Amino acid sequence: MTDVSIAASDTLPPRRRHGIDLSQPIMLAAAALLVVLIVLPIAWIVAYAFLDKSGALTLGNFAKLFTDPSFLDPLIATATIATSVGCLCCLIAAPMGWLVARSDMPARNLVRTLVMASFVTPPFLGAIAWELLAAPNSGLLNQAWRGLTGASADEHIFNIYSLGGVVFVITCYTFPYVFVLVANALDRIPGELEDASAMLGATSATTARRITIPMVLPAIIAGALIAFLQALNLFGSPAILAIPAGFHTLTTKIWSLFQFPPKPELAAAAALPLLVLTVVLLRAQKAVLGRRSYAVVGGKYGAPRPVPLGAFRWVALAGCLFMLLMPVFLPYAALLNAAFSKIPTRLVTWDTLSWQNVYFTFFELSQTGHVLKNTFLLGALSATLGTLLALIIAYLVARQSVRGHKILGFLATAPIAMPGIVLGVGLFLAYTRPPLVLYGTLWILLIAYITIELPAAYQQLQSAFHAVHPELEEASRILGATRLRSLRDITAPLLRTGVIATWCFIFVAVVRELSAAVILFTSDTKVLSVLIFDLKESGDLGAIAVLGLSMLALTTIVIALANSIPGRGGDIRLRENG
Amino acid sequence: MTLDPTYRLGGAAGWRAIRGGDALASVELKSLTKRYGTAAAVDAVSLEIAHGQLVCLLGPSGCGKTTTLRLIAGFIEPTEGEIIVGGRVVSSPKRTEPPERRNMSMIFQSYALWPHMTVAENVGYGLSIRKLASHVIADKVKAILGVARLEHLAARYPGELSGGQQQRVSLARALVVEPETLLMDEPLSNLDANLREEMRFEIRRLHDAFKTTTVYVTHDQSEAMTTADLIAVMNGGRIEQLGTPEAIYDRPVSEFVARFIGASNVITGTALDASHVQVAGVALATTGRVLTAGVKVPVSIRQHDVTLETTAPPAGATNRIKAVVKRQVFLGASRDYLVALDDGSEIRLSTAAGQNVATGSAVWLHLPPERCLALER
Repeated sequence: MTDVSIAASDTLPPRRRHGIDLSQPIMLAAAALLVVLIVLPIAWIVAYAFLDKSGALTLGNFAKLFTDPSFLDPLIATATIATSVGCLCCLIAAPMGWLVARSDMPARNLVRTLVMASFVTPPFLGAIAWELLAAPNSGLLNQAWRGLTGASADEHIFNIYSLGGVVFVITCYTFPYVFVLVANALDRIPGELEDASAMLGATSATTARRITIPMVLPAIIAGALIAFLQALNLFGSPAILAIPAGFHTLTTKIWSLFQFPPKPELAAAAALPLLVLTVVLLRAQKAVLGRRSYAVVGGKYGAPRPVPLGAFRWVALAGCLFMLLMPVFLPYAALLNAAFSKIPTRLVTWDTLSWQNVYFTFFELSQTGHVLKNTFLLGALSATLGTLLALIIAYLVARQSVRGHKILGFLATAPIAMPGIVLGVGLFLAYTRPPLVLYGTLWILLIAYITIELPAAYQQLQSAFHAVHPELEEASRILGATRLRSLRDITAPLLRTGVIATWCFIFVAVVRELSAAVILFTSDTKVLSVLIFDLKESGDLGAIAVLGLSMLALTTIVIALANSIPGRGGDIRLRENG
Repeated sequence: MTLDPTYRLGGAAGWRAIRGGDALASVELKSLTKRYGTAAAVDAVSLEIAHGQLVCLLGPSGCGKTTTLRLIAGFIEPTEGEIIVGGRVVSSPKRTEPPERRNMSMIFQSYALWPHMTVAENVGYGLSIRKLASHVIADKVKAILGVARLEHLAARYPGELSGGQQQRVSLARALVVEPETLLMDEPLSNLDANLREEMRFEIRRLHDAFKTTTVYVTHDQSEAMTTADLIAVMNGGRIEQLGTPEAIYDRPVSEFVARFIGASNVITGTALDASHVQVAGVALATTGRVLTAGVKVPVSIRQHDVTLETTAPPAGATNRIKAVVKRQVFLGASRDYLVALDDGSEIRLSTAAGQNVATGSAVWLHLPPERCLALER
């Protein structure tokens, strides 16, 4: 047979010899890399949690975790915070989502944009801004209150350093998750479904109760679970607000176990419940959302008919804007004020306007240059390598070109269940020992960032691949292009927009990341988020405000750039059959 | 649209001489099988396509015709069997040559035009893969765009073209590389009815000019009739019948083919002797195969071969069956009747538009013996 094909190939027109098919080895390499990235840290966490110093199996760490009050209290506090945040988010976000998606409230797009603004604010920055606003003594709101009522200097109406304060601030920056889920669900539910109910004689209230609410309920429940998870795994806000208030959450407790003297075995034991709970809740969320398939069944639907609110529409807008005071307007005003004021907790006037903080941050603070360099380097590297890895995996999975591609997809989405702080602990345990001592280098942070961002990057590129019809690649193959040539000439240009968007997404996420970095950094490998967190300890609020606003400006610019890239050649999508 | 096949310098024959002999390949499928799990999408399909023939794989959706085409293209590997192109085994379970080494072209149902390339870039892509000099590519692209009447659209992107124009670009892209084998996957299914009819003849004309060995997949029987030298009717992953359009139409071997090709009635009766079947109490003289008495036999007759008579037939007249009109529809050029026989089975037939018989009337059907085809299964 071989002879025949060699002899016959002489009659073929000259064509480049095609290379060996690399997809199987590439897939194996990608799988091995994913296993190392994901399994290694988890394995070390499990090992540390269940083994004592001599290597014998023990449950002692867990016994201590669930009996010692210094661990039990954070557990209770975390549960309280997460539950409260989950409920509050639904109470605020579900009505707002409905107003924006289904009512004739004015300025609906503005409200959507402002909610997105609170979405992109790093929660720890929001927490710092709220310190400026509502710290018991120096908080601007408390000062204003004292000024208005003439109350004495030791009185206050707001105290952000409290359980309530932590819940409030986390809610401010978590409710957008619920909002997005609810608004999207409502966008997708065709208005005809409600009209059909009305045609059968149902009143608006009945339609809402029997049709609309049951259909968005899965989205609300899923949103509540996500909010709960966020609150559970958040490190920045509780670290900034709970520790001064004199209590810990699970994440801050884990972090404190890495302060001198480090107790990694207890940190590992405390990290495991977070991991397990996250996996369980994500499964629950998937189950809840998975059943939503009944929501839209076939047929063509028009745009939903907005529900007229009458005079109430302005009340509704006022309510939405009031709600947005708290995550957006007030904190940003406080940060701007602090950035340009000699004393960050004084209201700035024309006379006291000063560039002193800006100058100090960028020219006097010795760490700034170094930290910015680390941040940019890590951001760019993580974004490039992460996009590349996600691209390879998404290609192998989307084109089903190798056996076992489903496992690869599962591995790539698995880190979504790994809270940043848990991953931080795992990586610390895994890479502080030979053969790979990466602790203290930028590599360990790079690994952490790529692992954390991989699921989102993978999902984004996967949907980009789905938009490129496989026949486009096949048309190139049958005309004589090899698999790699088709990738270069056809697939890559078509995916360009998706790839750039993914790169920007990872870059922005890396710049904001705190909870893994705070475990893994050393003085040489400090990044922007950690610097802001550190400056908070030294009380340098002016510099924090400058750095925080710079960070926001940077991420906004990157997002704007990503959005401004035009797709080329008109409609990327192909016409489907029929 | 008119594609002038002599666009190449010296015409098709001259080009073949330059290429050094007959470059067209025969395609042979040897008990080709593709299984997904336990289900066979293609089940032991054997088919020989001679040099320069156009073979249509015709069948309903899910019959395995597209899978067969993709097997020939090399996008999927066979579970069993072989594909031999020009005497060379290109697919077998052991070794499948990648599509890019088969010197084939394919026209996809979606057209698969690359949205990021202009029309000229799309058409020239295959030539640039073949490493032709850029001025040669430009000349060839210009020539084929000329005959496809696309030259004024050369700088457009596919997203800016109509469906028919996209179709022509796809055709030009496939033909410009002068393939040994041309594969077409439902190429006309995205066009509207008028354009589709026009393109059918165009494809046949092009084939007569170039004689490129072609495999054409469709579910539309009139498309297959117009274009094909040979039609392979597929059902359930197997070739039900292979033959010329005339043979398939006139002599279907099975109830499936009879029903799928053209409008046939299939009535089942019991064989009385070698050439008579008992249907609704009448002995029907049949043609086709020699029957064995006592066996159940499906008999097919085309709708327009049945004649409707309103008066009782003369004594001794054969192949007349009594029926009642259940429904009739005026279709303009003809009239469509549904009648019921005494045993409850129904027959559809079409008559001249002027023959108007009221619903509920008793009628007699004349089924000419030479049109009553006893089927094999």
